[in-house]
Amino acid sequence: MAIPLVPKLLRAHLAELAENDARIDGRQQWEGRDVEIETSVLPRAEGSARVRMGDTIVFAGVKFQIMKPYSDRPNQGGLMCSAEIRPVAGRNWESGPPSPESIELGRVVDRGIRESGCIDVDALCIIPGEKAWQVILDLFAISDDGNLFDAFALAGIAALRNAVVPAERFEVGEDYSLGVSKTPIMCSYHKVGDRFVYDACGREELGGDERIHITLGDDDHVHSLQKGLKGIFSTEEFTEIMGRAQERSKEIRDILDSL
Amino acid sequence: MNSRPVARLDSMSKKNGAGGPRDRGRAQSLVVPGQDLGESEGQEVGHGVIVMEGRLRATKNGRIRNQGSTVSIEPLHTRYIPRPGDLAIGYIEGCTNNIWFVELGAPFNAILPMSLGPGKVEFGGTRSVMDVGEAILCRVQEVEETHSSVVTMKGMGLRKIRSGVIEEIDPHLLGRLIGKGGESLKRLKEDAECRVIVADNGRMWIDGDLDGILEVRRQLDLMTVESRPIPVGGGH
Amino acid sequence: MGGYGDVQMIDENGKRVDGRGPGDLRDITIETDVVPVADGSCRMTWGTNEVIVAVYGPMECHPRKLQRQDRAVLDVAYNMAPFSTTDRMRPGFNRRSREISKVTKDALESVVLLELYPRSKIRISIEVLSAEAGTRCVGLTAASVALADAGVPMTDMVVSVASGKINDVVVCDLNKEEDNYGEADLPMGILPNSGQLVFLQMDGDLSQEEFNQAWQYNMDAAQTIHNFMVDSLKGGEA
Repeated sequence: MAIPLVPKLLRAHLAELAENDARIDGRQQWEGRDVEIETSVLPRAEGSARVRMGDTIVFAGVKFQIMKPYSDRPNQGGLMCSAEIRPVAGRNWESGPPSPESIELGRVVDRGIRESGCIDVDALCIIPGEKAWQVILDLFAISDDGNLFDAFALAGIAALRNAVVPAERFEVGEDYSLGVSKTPIMCSYHKVGDRFVYDACGREELGGDERIHITLGDDDHVHSLQKGLKGIFSTEEFTEIMGRAQERSKEIRDILDSL
Repeated sequence: MNSRPVARLDSMSKKNGAGGPRDRGRAQSLVVPGQDLGESEGQEVGHGVIVMEGRLRATKNGRIRNQGSTVSIEPLHTRYIPRPGDLAIGYIEGCTNNIWFVELGAPFNAILPMSLGPGKVEFGGTRSVMDVGEAILCRVQEVEETHSSVVTMKGMGLRKIRSGVIEEIDPHLLGRLIGKGGESLKRLKEDAECRVIVADNGRMWIDGDLDGILEVRRQLDLMTVESRPIPVGGGH
Repeated sequence: MGGYGDVQMIDENGKRVDGRGPGDLRDITIETDVVPVADGSCRMTWGTNEVIVAVYGPMECHPRKLQRQDRAVLDVAYNMAPFSTTDRMRPGFNRRSREISKVTKDALESVVLLELYPRSKIRISIEVLSAEAGTRCVGLTAASVALADAGVPMTDMVVSVASGKINDVVVCDLNKEEDNYGEADLPMGILPNSGQLVFLQMDGDLSQEEFNQAWQYNMDAAQTIHNFMVDSLKGGEA
């Protein structure tokens, strides 16, 4: 990623907005942008979703491959998450090897989904020691206007929920629904001005500071946490964010369930 | 699979949601790159039009404008190209010991030599006077194809921008923003009680209290939405 | 090109497996302004192909070594997303993608007025989200629309389509099976206002007569596709 130019005036303006309990796009402190989710949008993927949050647009595609189980885990299949932010998504995303930013994005989203245990890797075994399913979740950004983290995490779980195991194509049985046992949802908070806000848009990310990503499961269990970029936050700030994440993750889960 | 409407070849002529612009009147004056615009005999070419084999041809997507014998295109989307004399709002993107690199939203950056900078600057002292990320109000001094354009801050009103916000708007909307004889802009400034300076490179500086700034931003958003030709419906 | 002549893909009435006649195009849709943060963009579906193209620029040309003093450079990247094919495509360097990026760039450089923007760069990202034969044609066509959407001046738009031969019959616009089991593939990039070409490839086996027929199919199809492109740019939906 090219280091974007951060205009000094932007930071000053964001700070003034924060002092006046306002945001650059008119939202409230904890208000998210409208979320649009569409599933089964990629004909060649075994599960897929497109998520739009404001002008941030991402795709998630699930593909299956047959793998040989690892020798120390002969009865398990695997889950792999890969995130790509290519130049298509924004002026500052350059071609070339994955940048630290995109690697962090991929790994944070991966942990949120994997650690929730929503995919039963034991059920992916076909023949112990010989064959198992590998579930590959590919996250692909089309337009970056801030908060790719939450968009990727949401698209990822939405795609997994409608994934169908292509047993027939691989001649190992009949197709069946992959199924997820829970729905982990990620909520990201950026420090803008001197307070945290939810679902930062592009300009807030540009002029903002540290960020915190929280992934919660159906029962408010915490599945992953990440603090990114330099900056300091307090226990009080974190407690408030955790409370907000509990509320918001339920709202998003409801949107997914209503599809 | 998705269930979006799909255009079939045989339904291109039918108005059932797919194919064909909705407002025939407005669409008629819209042209696309490569479109023939008639004989070139006796006509002058303006922006977005070239002559090929004796005929006028559009090179951009936009509306045709005929002013006297000049045919030009008002593009739907355009990039700023600096011209000498332009008032511009730029961001310092980098500097050496005796020049600053200024980002103007153009295809390439401009340079601001130390001698044309604000006040008195010593060799090596550029960064302490103006650092990366600062915004300036400057004027384009010269534009030459073989080297970058040069901007200057020596001149009436040119300075470092220390407060307020900078908003971007498509350069071709500047006319609408300013209005006949500056009417629209004057009204905007009064409504919002803000100082507003509109530069030629599609940027404007708004200074005032927060409510005023938000009001100006609101009106700008409205203007951008209203200026889109026809909303693209369905599909996405 | 396998040339598996015994896979029956067209019957004695000229009806193909997907119901099309020999000269018929697959279904096409075109939308612009689909990547809000880009300067211009286009999404095209063509049969089961889905391609999104985003254009950024003209902008400063980095890295410096690619910069040209007398004109702009086009930085064209064609890429297939991992979930675009039945067997997952590993992300990363891919020779086929590099070749397609290059010939697409060569085609577009023939129509973009590069001299107007010396020392700058125009970035064109072609992303294939779903592939079903002819992705290079979809990419090139969608790139033309995206460039027009971005306000980049061109002498004409490029329309690209491929015709070929299946079971000894020349047909227009090969689909996946026809491309895999057919006997020839002729993709072209055509300038609709003049009938001139900026892109041409071919592989397989065609007699001179068959070649001319495939050529003509492409020319005719290009006019139809061009109408879709014009409609989408003029604000309607195609």
